[in-house]
Amino acid sequence: MSSVSQKAIEQDPQQLHEDLHDIWGNPKGWKALTIVNHTTLGLRFMITGMVFFLIGGILAMLVRTQLAMPDQDFMSPDIYNQVTTMHGTVMMFLFAIPMLEGLAIYMIPKMIGARDLVCPRLTSLGYWCYLFGGIILTSSLILEMAPSSGWFMYTPLSSSEFSPDLGPDFWLLGITFVEISALSAGVEIVVSILRTRTQGMALHKMPLFAWYILAMALMIVVGFPPLILASVMLELERAVGMPFFEVAGGGDPILWQHLFWLFGHPEVYIIFLPAAGIISTLIPVFAGRPIVGYGWVVFAIIVTGFISFGLWVHHMFTVGIPQLAQAFFSAASMLVAVPTAIQVFVWLATLWLGKPKMKLPMLWVLGFLIIFVCGGLTGVMLALVPFNWQVHDTHFVVAHMHYVLVGGMFFPLIAGLYYWLPLFSGRMPSENLGRWGFWLTFLGFNGTFLIMHWTGLLGMPRRVYTYDTGMGWDIYNLLSSVSSFVMSAGIAMVLLDIALHFRFGKPAKQNPWNADTLEWANTMPPSAYNFVSLPKIETRHPLWDDPNLPVTMAEGKHSLAVATHGRREMWGTDPISGKVREIIHLPGNSWWPLFAAMALAVVCISLLVRVYALAGVFVLIAGVFLLRWSWENGAHPKAAPDANVSPGDPPLHSRTMDGPGVWAMGTFLIANGSFFLSYLFGWFYLWTVSPEWSMPDVSPLSLSGLVAAGLAITAGYMVMVKLIRGLRRQQDAGLASGFYLAGTLGAVQVALTTWVMLAADLAPTETTHDAVLLLGLIYALFHGGLAVVLTVMQALRVRYGYVGAHAPFEPAVVVQLWRYNAVVFWILVGSLAVLPRVIGG
Amino acid sequence: MSPLLERLRLTHPIHFVVGLTVWCIWFIAVYGGHAVACEVAAPATERGVFTLLNGWMLLLSIVTTALLAALTWWCWQAGQLHQGRARFNAVVSAGLYLFSALSVVFVALPIIGIPPCV
Amino acid sequence: MRERNSNIASPNIQRATGRRVNRIAVLAVLGLALLTAGCAGDKSILDPAGQAARDVALIWWIMLTFSAVVLTVLTGLWLFAFRPRDVTRTPSQERRVARHWILGGGILLPVVSIVALLAFGVPAGQRMLAIGEPGEVIEVIGHQWWFEVRYPNAEGGEVVTANHLVMPVGEPVDFHVTSADVIHGFWIPRLGGKVDMIPGRENRIRLQADIPAVFGAQCAELCGVAHAHMHLFVEALPREEYDAWLAERQRDALATMATANATDDEARSAFMTHCASCHSVAGVSDGTLGPDLSDVGSRATLGAGVMAMDDGAISQWLHHHQTLKPGNLMPSHADIDTDTLDSLGAWLETLNP
Repeated sequence: MSSVSQKAIEQDPQQLHEDLHDIWGNPKGWKALTIVNHTTLGLRFMITGMVFFLIGGILAMLVRTQLAMPDQDFMSPDIYNQVTTMHGTVMMFLFAIPMLEGLAIYMIPKMIGARDLVCPRLTSLGYWCYLFGGIILTSSLILEMAPSSGWFMYTPLSSSEFSPDLGPDFWLLGITFVEISALSAGVEIVVSILRTRTQGMALHKMPLFAWYILAMALMIVVGFPPLILASVMLELERAVGMPFFEVAGGGDPILWQHLFWLFGHPEVYIIFLPAAGIISTLIPVFAGRPIVGYGWVVFAIIVTGFISFGLWVHHMFTVGIPQLAQAFFSAASMLVAVPTAIQVFVWLATLWLGKPKMKLPMLWVLGFLIIFVCGGLTGVMLALVPFNWQVHDTHFVVAHMHYVLVGGMFFPLIAGLYYWLPLFSGRMPSENLGRWGFWLTFLGFNGTFLIMHWTGLLGMPRRVYTYDTGMGWDIYNLLSSVSSFVMSAGIAMVLLDIALHFRFGKPAKQNPWNADTLEWANTMPPSAYNFVSLPKIETRHPLWDDPNLPVTMAEGKHSLAVATHGRREMWGTDPISGKVREIIHLPGNSWWPLFAAMALAVVCISLLVRVYALAGVFVLIAGVFLLRWSWENGAHPKAAPDANVSPGDPPLHSRTMDGPGVWAMGTFLIANGSFFLSYLFGWFYLWTVSPEWSMPDVSPLSLSGLVAAGLAITAGYMVMVKLIRGLRRQQDAGLASGFYLAGTLGAVQVALTTWVMLAADLAPTETTHDAVLLLGLIYALFHGGLAVVLTVMQALRVRYGYVGAHAPFEPAVVVQLWRYNAVVFWILVGSLAVLPRVIGG
Repeated sequence: MSPLLERLRLTHPIHFVVGLTVWCIWFIAVYGGHAVACEVAAPATERGVFTLLNGWMLLLSIVTTALLAALTWWCWQAGQLHQGRARFNAVVSAGLYLFSALSVVFVALPIIGIPPCV
Repeated sequence: MRERNSNIASPNIQRATGRRVNRIAVLAVLGLALLTAGCAGDKSILDPAGQAARDVALIWWIMLTFSAVVLTVLTGLWLFAFRPRDVTRTPSQERRVARHWILGGGILLPVVSIVALLAFGVPAGQRMLAIGEPGEVIEVIGHQWWFEVRYPNAEGGEVVTANHLVMPVGEPVDFHVTSADVIHGFWIPRLGGKVDMIPGRENRIRLQADIPAVFGAQCAELCGVAHAHMHLFVEALPREEYDAWLAERQRDALATMATANATDDEARSAFMTHCASCHSVAGVSDGTLGPDLSDVGSRATLGAGVMAMDDGAISQWLHHHQTLKPGNLMPSHADIDTDTLDSLGAWLETLNP
């Protein structure tokens, strides 16, 4: 599709802007709740994140007040445990991740020359899930029922026996709800970066920030499902009594730790990578030269992304695993120092070879460097097993972790906010107040946490609400507490500065920092559609090559400067070469994401108060909303009923078989696969390691029943494949009946699996073995049922004329689910029913 | 370049992730296999490091390292034959294969010195 | 006997007053003080009293020095990069400079550091493993929120106590730890690393005390509401004193002691009514939910380190334990009259072999 029209039709820019605004513009009043635009939602994410940051910050101040002096009774131990648990939880799940996702949602399309993310309604659903989940979680503080077993919720402390209150339920349900948001953002950011970069932006010309965000999003996709699985299992144990982690029934509390840290360690890098992306964006701009060693940075990003999944056990060095296994993880943990050091020296070399200017954002970058390097060095120390055995669970670790997270995330974030402020508001930040804010934060931070290393070395454990005098800890705790208030004064000053600049900041000129990336080709503040026309780029530095690019883009002198069709359109490009492949048309504003999120919120609350019937009803309602949402796709009148494009332009994505939805489904299935692998890990782990595991001599699952079900789903998949082959040849005869046939085969699989499950006569509240089997079968049933529903819906859509040879896109999405289901089902049969027969209990 | 290497498409960005994926699989195999072996049939502590388990883990590590080293070399060669995007992809992939190979070596070092199941 | 114990209980307090004077100096030269004043306090990692802890302390000082150099040089280089200058380099010169930085700082520096660290660290870790000749075995079981201590191999039969751990000096001791409820952490900072106490599993760690002394220890893993009040009093004694200590605690001897005095009959019957279902006293009761009290009078502290065992302390504890240790699992004794509590306390204090 290289023959894309680069025609520079002379159009009136003002008229073009108004036409585009009619299509893309945000509604006002109540209808503002329907907005799906990434700019608006990105801002909402970030503002909500800031609110949660303030809540988390107040909790931190409460902790430091309590610990300022020995034997204080400012807080009772129970409240203290709630406060520390919620401080960690809020900062990690409700501030750090959503904040950075918000930044990515806002910035990525602008940086890669797109007009929105690929799944705008999913962005909206993600935001509402985040908001509602966050409100549910923080409301537990007001109700004084907050979780109190620490932000990593170690069981058995968080089990119903030792925490009979609702605290852990708030945590498990609220966090799972928020994670829907993280996952949906992760999926669409991956697809957006891979498939919607502007023409010519090949993989190796992508801004480094996009590389970092791509890695972060993929890590979210792979890293979050283990925690979702663990939360589901723990909630099932608490609510129904399925003993996954309870030793007496055959479970193992250490399994929780494995699943938690399988998520928890990558999460540190999920937070660090985007922040490092900010640093890699700012340094070249303020050094006035391209980054030195682009390839090295890409290398470091990929290495970090992978290695960070091989480190989780270093949080568990004291649980008593064999020395050799600890040595593996110790070595792997130290390896991560290599990519990090590469980045640090790439940044240094860039400054060395450039002409750097110490503007306000650079001050924060410098603060980041000092703090983060310090945190990295203590991180390497902690990777050393004998040292870890000494300082694990002491204030040394608290200090280390804050150096890494505040240094590695908060400082770069503020640097980035100051840098992009002119884009958000069209105004420049003040240099004076900002510098005061920086120095107070920097000195306060180091005063709090540098000293805390020492307190830890003197033996002060984590999470004690009080301590005796005479341990030598008093003075250091007092200094930490005083400094923490200095730090909060600094942060308050920064926030004040940012708030005031919206009113008093000097108006910014176009591209005020003389940056090289496309987001500065937007108007300031940006319009809802970002760019009037989409440029073809040749190098990594479009705005340095052609400083006039923002003007010609705004004048509509590049591609896709048409609005007459009334669709929201942008390029779909080849993930590697950046050649244009199709026109992606995006859905407009919609109520469905909000409604679906509200239904899910009701589900969450009813599970919390244990009204399971209501939860069931609202699961169905949410499902209906989501199906209705997906109904308005493709050739539906609300989407793209006609397929006309300008002469020379590529086809609409819904008229091809490889649009972003195919990629989104693929990415979602990676997440799903990670969930499934975590489940398999749990099954084999419990089987081999759990101290009191027991399993019957003969598997209770009927092998013949399962094989029959597997054959049914495989046959259904074959039918789907045959239909897809037909569509590729433009043949859609018998399409609807084919879908019905596949649906029926899927229903047979569901029925047979249900029969096997019922006939097995499992006792899931008695033994862990039966609980794990039941969970696996329910997983298979849910997926089988989902495939049936979606396939029958395709059949209906054929009848309505939304799907067919003219619009073959959606079956190509659905068939992937079938393939996944078939593979997963056979693996389940093999591991749950065949292997126990072969090996024996 | 031989037809076999041609089919590996060494300038495709998929090679950015293959090396480290192999590293991950190796890591899971060694860690998981070791954990299972220690639960099911732990070798006697007195034998120190001279156990069959250490031997198998070492062998697997050597084979994996060799594979990754070969891919490093092939990717590097492929990089020298191309320009622009293809060269970038192949050279970065070569670096990632090299890192993966060295990571296997580094993480496997303790196998030589530590008895398996204590 | 009592005298020795109260001496042991008080050094904290004496040391604290002594150090208050130092504190002004600490404030005055904080930077220096950070490096010196730390080596005090009976839970300090930097005041090692055993080989394992000494190894770690040494590694720490080396790592600290190395890290300080790296951080200082790196920060210096970054700041130096901001100097105003007027150098022009050709692209090939630039590439060479960049390559030097990235290969030298990005690869060589971390690789050399981590290889050196592992070469130091792995042998140190191996010394804490319970392999080779088995040492003296002491079992420690974590409960919400106290430590049960057992000596399964004591001559004459198993010895059981709580919150007060006595170990022999100068020989390796294998601690076998587990938990009766949630996960706790076993950690004697001055002797060496910690290990988790996990329900359903037994973890082992080998530690050795080089000097006869008292060491602080405290649960390291968040275990619920009274986590901060879960201390273990560790006392290292020379071998013969240790053997004597164990011999004094043989079940028969303890039983004789508990029932020796007829004047305590009333207290014993109150104990049977109110305490016996949870607490064990040799010869009197065998409850298992709470700490064994057979030798409670000889322990240095009460309530897992909440208060020192002074005269009348047990009675104080019985009256106010929910304020002294909020949330502990012993029911409040508000419904028991003062005289009964006092007589219970007085009798329990006599359980001092």
